[in-house]
Amino acid sequence: MDWWFWPACLFLFTLIIGIIAPISGVGGGVLFVPLTTAFFPFHPDFIRGAGLIMALTSALSSAPHFAKKGLANLRIMAPIVVVSIITSILGGIIGLWITSAFPEGKYYITIMLGIVLFIIFAVMLTSKRVEFPEVKEVDSLSEKLELKGAWYEPTLGKVVEYRVTNMKIALPAFAGVGFIAGMFGLGAGWANVPVLNLIMGAPIKVATSTSMMIITVNDAAAAWVYLSRGAILPMIVVPSVLGITIGARIGAKLAVRARPRIVRYIVLGVMLLAAVLDIYKGLAGLGYVPKLF
Amino acid sequence: MKGVEVDPMNTTFAKTMEILTYIGLVVMIVPGIIYIVTGIGYVNTADAVENWGKSASEFWKATKGIEVHGYSWFLNNLTYFDCLSIIGIVILAITPLVSMIASITKADSKYKVILLIVVIEFIVAIVRPLFMHVTGH
Repeated sequence: MDWWFWPACLFLFTLIIGIIAPISGVGGGVLFVPLTTAFFPFHPDFIRGAGLIMALTSALSSAPHFAKKGLANLRIMAPIVVVSIITSILGGIIGLWITSAFPEGKYYITIMLGIVLFIIFAVMLTSKRVEFPEVKEVDSLSEKLELKGAWYEPTLGKVVEYRVTNMKIALPAFAGVGFIAGMFGLGAGWANVPVLNLIMGAPIKVATSTSMMIITVNDAAAAWVYLSRGAILPMIVVPSVLGITIGARIGAKLAVRARPRIVRYIVLGVMLLAAVLDIYKGLAGLGYVPKLF
Repeated sequence: MKGVEVDPMNTTFAKTMEILTYIGLVVMIVPGIIYIVTGIGYVNTADAVENWGKSASEFWKATKGIEVHGYSWFLNNLTYFDCLSIIGIVILAITPLVSMIASITKADSKYKVILLIVVIEFIVAIVRPLFMHVTGH
């Protein structure tokens, strides 16, 4: 097989992920790592490294636009990343330590990834989205940090003001999410958004935009762990970033026209399949079940 | 924005991030494509394909006979396109740090402290591998 076969497949694969992600509302990073682990010959170290850079570039490309509008809020992001930056670095260190310290480490990571994917699937399927949550009381920490903001909402034709609360409750959740993002190279919008929206009471647009901002810091910090261990290969990263960037532009245009619910369910189904395949692949590697391919 | 005064801390953060992201993407993608098309780099493509199923530590032992701890593996080989592409990734990975440093100037005293803590944590994340070899060996 020619050497360019897999990078070309990776480009096409990420192009498709990029198109599907905005239509389905499922993040590209969360699809890339488990599916690439299941179907491509690369070691999980390089897949997680590429996943982090993909999630980072996607977030870096969109966060400034939302920050200028007042949707992505640095006041909310800064206290959160004080905690999550530490756990995302720890996640990266432990993830790479498992694969290099244990001969079967690759399979442990693959099995854990499958389990995490089941959790993500459950969160995505069950969590609701509240357009404008009502915040009746603000806790003392959120009050002191002045966690509030405003943006012009064109669909309402007016400026929407908001405030958020429950920072103390949210911080441990963000710590856990940071760890998972660093360990598995996943973007973490699937968890950031429900915490910001449902626990802290941020309007859904603020939650999705601020989540992007959080991802830029968490994933950039974890990327240094992967860089320092040589776990980032341009041959895997460049086709992936190019594919998802081009795909996301096409997908965003298609999403404006239609976002059929069926696409979301198909993508969630594929995620579930990837979770099963990752767990099976891991168990096969450890010799508990026969190898599929 | 119509009737909305966006926090200057936010806009400074956004403008810095926007500029550095463009630079990082170009520096990553252009040499990256040249590397993939020509197949010539610090790690040639044939070696990469043969060994990309191995863990990162095994990969570097097999392709270059080295153990990677830190950043010298690409900083010392910037004449190769694959290592130049990594510089683009470095720019992207440093972008949130520079954006936060820039926004400190527009922050109030509380947020100056918070952002400074994040900046210090970030810098520790970058220099940590130069002092500690705790990720596997």
